[in-house]
Amino acid sequence: MKKFRLYFEEHNRGPLTQLWQQFQRQHAAVFGLVMFSFFLLLTLFAPLLSPHDPYLQNADLLLLAPSWSEQGLVQYPFGTDDLGRDLMSRLMKGATYTFGIALITVIGSLLMGLALGAMAGMSKGVKSSIFNHVLDLALTIPSLLLAIIIVAVLGPGLWNTTWAIMLALLPQFVHGIRNAIQDTLKQDYVAAYRLDGASNWQVLRYAVLPNIWEHLTVMATMALSTAILDVAALGFLGLGAQAPTSEWGVMIADALDLIYLAPWAIALPGILVFASVLSVNLVGDGLRTAMTKRREN
Amino acid sequence: MMLHYFLRRTFLIGFVFVALTVLAFSLSYLFPGDVLNNVSGLTNIAPEQQQALIQYYALDQSLLMQYLAYVNRILAGEWGLSFSSQQPVLAEIIAVFPATLELASYALILSFVLGIPLGLFAAVKADSFFGKLVSGITLVAYSIPIFWWALLLIMLFSLTLGLLPTAGRINVLFDIPTTTGFMLPDIWLSDIRYKSEATMDALRHLLLPAIVLATYPTTVMIRFTRDSMLAVLEQSYIKTARAKGLSRAQVLYHHGLRNALLPVIRQIGLQFSTLITLAMITEVIFSWPGIGQWLLDSIYQRNYPAIQGGLLVVSCLVIVVNMLTEILHTLFNPLARKA
Repeated sequence: MKKFRLYFEEHNRGPLTQLWQQFQRQHAAVFGLVMFSFFLLLTLFAPLLSPHDPYLQNADLLLLAPSWSEQGLVQYPFGTDDLGRDLMSRLMKGATYTFGIALITVIGSLLMGLALGAMAGMSKGVKSSIFNHVLDLALTIPSLLLAIIIVAVLGPGLWNTTWAIMLALLPQFVHGIRNAIQDTLKQDYVAAYRLDGASNWQVLRYAVLPNIWEHLTVMATMALSTAILDVAALGFLGLGAQAPTSEWGVMIADALDLIYLAPWAIALPGILVFASVLSVNLVGDGLRTAMTKRREN
Repeated sequence: MMLHYFLRRTFLIGFVFVALTVLAFSLSYLFPGDVLNNVSGLTNIAPEQQQALIQYYALDQSLLMQYLAYVNRILAGEWGLSFSSQQPVLAEIIAVFPATLELASYALILSFVLGIPLGLFAAVKADSFFGKLVSGITLVAYSIPIFWWALLLIMLFSLTLGLLPTAGRINVLFDIPTTTGFMLPDIWLSDIRYKSEATMDALRHLLLPAIVLATYPTTVMIRFTRDSMLAVLEQSYIKTARAKGLSRAQVLYHHGLRNALLPVIRQIGLQFSTLITLAMITEVIFSWPGIGQWLLDSIYQRNYPAIQGGLLVVSCLVIVVNMLTEILHTLFNPLARKA
């Protein structure tokens, strides 16, 4: 490692550029980012891109095989399901549900976690200790059990279970954000800023937050992979999204009766869940490595 | 110092239990339907019984008294009746809970046995082909949705190859008397003639669910062992130990492994509630008669007293495991003993 750094040297760039340079070097991470962008595009524009209406039932084309088999039709690349709905359109629309809802839960949970974590991180003594204890309780209830309880109170449905996933993700955000804030508060530049007369809010806004956003991004990607798996699992168990919805987990559960007749109807949604989680994990790992390397330099 | 720590922990656990019972108690009000039905678990209450029951469950008194009565009933083992079977909830839980514990503990053991050596290997040989392979496989296994993974394995091993059974804990032909509720010890404790056949059959039933459930904790274990080992190997005391003339194996065992496994112990506690969620999903897919399947049946049947009881038991298990790992971590790591 170099001891001295001169300002005309090339690596003296903004933190974002440095991060991107480190990120770029990891091929797996860039591959993950491409996949991630693909899923994001699909989530946003699935209704425009899908070739057929995902809910349109076509009685003439029940259980059509995928187009790579002899019986398939090229207009239906992945075939149709037992109600004659185009599988490809359903899978594309499913991105909006599984991937999109997972994104929304993570963003919601991140914002709540940021508020609570900032409160916990900036406070001291009894207040912060009570906070921890409440969080410990929240950590002890498994997410599926939380979902079961919420479904029992509010009834099943995609949006109701969203709350369960949000609540299940919340403790890790609060813990992580609180620890990050407390670590940053120990730094000398925060002390200097305080000596300048900065209030708590100003310290948080101008000294702490700019220094922890990388942590936040890494935490959010880790949470996103959990959220996707949870949305799909709850859909599969029949607690989350309900039957006609083309959420990927629900599609797998629907296709279970046809496991011998149409194994691809189970395989394809599963591959998509897997690929989306993998892309998120690749990006998360890449970000984490890039972040450590950037700090080292 | 240690005493102070334990006192703090005891206080904390007391607080968590109080909060947990408050949550469980409030569910009787939050769940749809009549409070009296939800509290007692009786589905049909005759009008002449109603007054007596209200008195018995203290529903005519303040919320605080109701809560205290609830806690008393919980401690006395009176957890209400299940809506669907009209049997005591606690007895049903005791019948199904060991199956979950058995499955989860085998999966955990499997994840230790596989995860820690592989993680160490991936850290020590980080740049070799096999190190990268382990890391790659870990990332893939970490991303796989468990229910889909289970279905793939069933499709391959049960439907296509016909090697392993898809459901249950043991073939129904075997009649194993229940003593502990754990299948393998039950078989060994029983005095039946076909012990070895029964053991083989139980193991065959156990194999797929245990592999499916162990996938996630194993990958977590590999990742954590690897990351923490890599961090430890960077430390200057490792260089010092090498400079002292210790062999690579000695350094790895005495200085590396001991320090690297500390965060891993902690991680077990933190990941345990995820493990329980996954165990519940695994149970549903493999029709494993554990608490997960029981709870999901309860939600499909809107069996509120059962959900309430399940919440208490499962959360208590997670709390206890969290506590134990935390205490272990503190015992092994003097640095964590800051009051």
